[in-house]
Amino acid sequence: MAAREALLDPTGMDERSADGTLAPRPTSLRGLTVGLLDNTKVNATPLLRGIADDLVDRFGAGDTRLYTKDYFGTPVKDELLRQIAAECDVVVTAVGDCGSCSAATVADGILFERAGIPAVSICSDSFAMSGAAMAQVQGFPGFEFITVEHPVASLDEKEIRQRAATVLPDVVRILGVGA
Amino acid sequence: MTDLTIQTADSTTRTETSTVDIGEIRRVMEYYQQQQWTDGLPVMPVTESYLAEFLAQTTRRPDDVLFSVPHLNRDLTVRLAAINAALAGCLPEYFPVVVAAWEAIAQEPHPRRGIWQSTTGTAPFTVVNGPVRERIGLNCQGNIFGSGFRANATIGRAIRLALINAFGLRPHQLDQATQATPAKYTACIGENEEQSPWQPLHTEYGFAPGDDVVTAFVIRSVMHIEARHTQVPEQLARDFADTIRRTGALIHEYSNALLVLTPEHAQVFAGAGWTKDDVRTAVYENAVRTRAELAAVGKDALSRHTRWRLPADHPDATPDSASIGSDPENVRIMNGLGSVQIVVAGANNAGVSAVVEIFGLAPRERPSSYSKVAAG
Repeated sequence: MAAREALLDPTGMDERSADGTLAPRPTSLRGLTVGLLDNTKVNATPLLRGIADDLVDRFGAGDTRLYTKDYFGTPVKDELLRQIAAECDVVVTAVGDCGSCSAATVADGILFERAGIPAVSICSDSFAMSGAAMAQVQGFPGFEFITVEHPVASLDEKEIRQRAATVLPDVVRILGVGA
Repeated sequence: MTDLTIQTADSTTRTETSTVDIGEIRRVMEYYQQQQWTDGLPVMPVTESYLAEFLAQTTRRPDDVLFSVPHLNRDLTVRLAAINAALAGCLPEYFPVVVAAWEAIAQEPHPRRGIWQSTTGTAPFTVVNGPVRERIGLNCQGNIFGSGFRANATIGRAIRLALINAFGLRPHQLDQATQATPAKYTACIGENEEQSPWQPLHTEYGFAPGDDVVTAFVIRSVMHIEARHTQVPEQLARDFADTIRRTGALIHEYSNALLVLTPEHAQVFAGAGWTKDDVRTAVYENAVRTRAELAAVGKDALSRHTRWRLPADHPDATPDSASIGSDPENVRIMNGLGSVQIVVAGANNAGVSAVVEIFGLAPRERPSSYSKVAAG
């Protein structure tokens, strides 16, 4: 009888180590600079602006700065990542409302966390599984991100304001500053 | 009771009575299902000694990276490609074709940028040219898009299983395809070079007919063209163009197509003295929509952000290229002759061909990439 052999893992995942460490959290947002990373999807800008306005008005955040990705389907490029990390204290990125951009939005959050910047990634709830799968392949299976009710692209100004207000408690909780 | 003839690694054959331990086989099959290391169908178990037979077929080192998706932080090594090829049911001698397929896919712009996470639901599609088709029994004749041929079935599946396993592109997870295509199980065909009136596809890249080459496309739909009624090449070309210019497939400014011509259709063209470039020209010139037809489906302009088609009155709209050209009322659906690729495949028994719709955002000289199959 032939020798018995182990079945091989076809994923290669066993060769990788996980790094699920979050960036250090601030004690408050007072005076901090909030980076807003717009992935160019429709309504990403007003959603981020809505959140930023509340972070300034209600939580005392200082400056807010809007940045735009050149392509929604892949994570933020190194150069922009370094610029945002240098200029901001925390980051909110949106909106992952498609197959590739939901995963990219979660990957962005993980990249910022690993660069030492607390980050909030916002996807639509239709793509929660895609975001979670991205966190898994990035070796950060427990990474927490926010899902807003789908759709986002077809909403008017008032509806976007409501979405922003709905997610605000989770934004501040993930940034570690409480309500 | 029948006997099993088993080809062993040292090329001897032995015959065994065809009895099995069904409990162990079922346990192994269920293990792979539980690990989600499959496309849903049973897979071939893979161990180090079986893997070694695949790795022996290539001069590439096991650690060589064939394809990377940087934003997923994932690389496909030769070793991982081989495990997944074995898992898919390939024979070891197919592996050089699988390696060439990955080398071609790696040159395509969209796969490494995440197109296989996308809702559009595209699939890899490979065309194989050269004598290797015969050596491994790759079908290039009847039932070309159907089942029944191990090399076609398992080479395409080797790509799929590696995408699922090594890149985590599982449906409902990282793979967010809304509906996708049956081609996601497998899509690998040979060109029917022997029954083609023209030189084969790979000679267009400068290869000799005796070279083995894999061409990779990223595709969405395979549309069949039934035209048994005509020997007039102009009529046949219009029939193809009509399918290519359908608005449902028109996501971006332009469409690309691979014509998979049955030998009979190729002969309608070649018999009238047409070259492949003549076919390309006729299809390109007829792949036109009126501005009104595009407006009727809300695709008469482009998004400034994404370059996808949308209505001209949309706030994000910017004019398409035709709008600022000499004939704004007639919109070309293809960017140039290179957008029409041609292979001959299928049985020489009817005027039944296909248009394979190729996905592509920006116009390219040729909407595909290729790699030569290395000698084992």
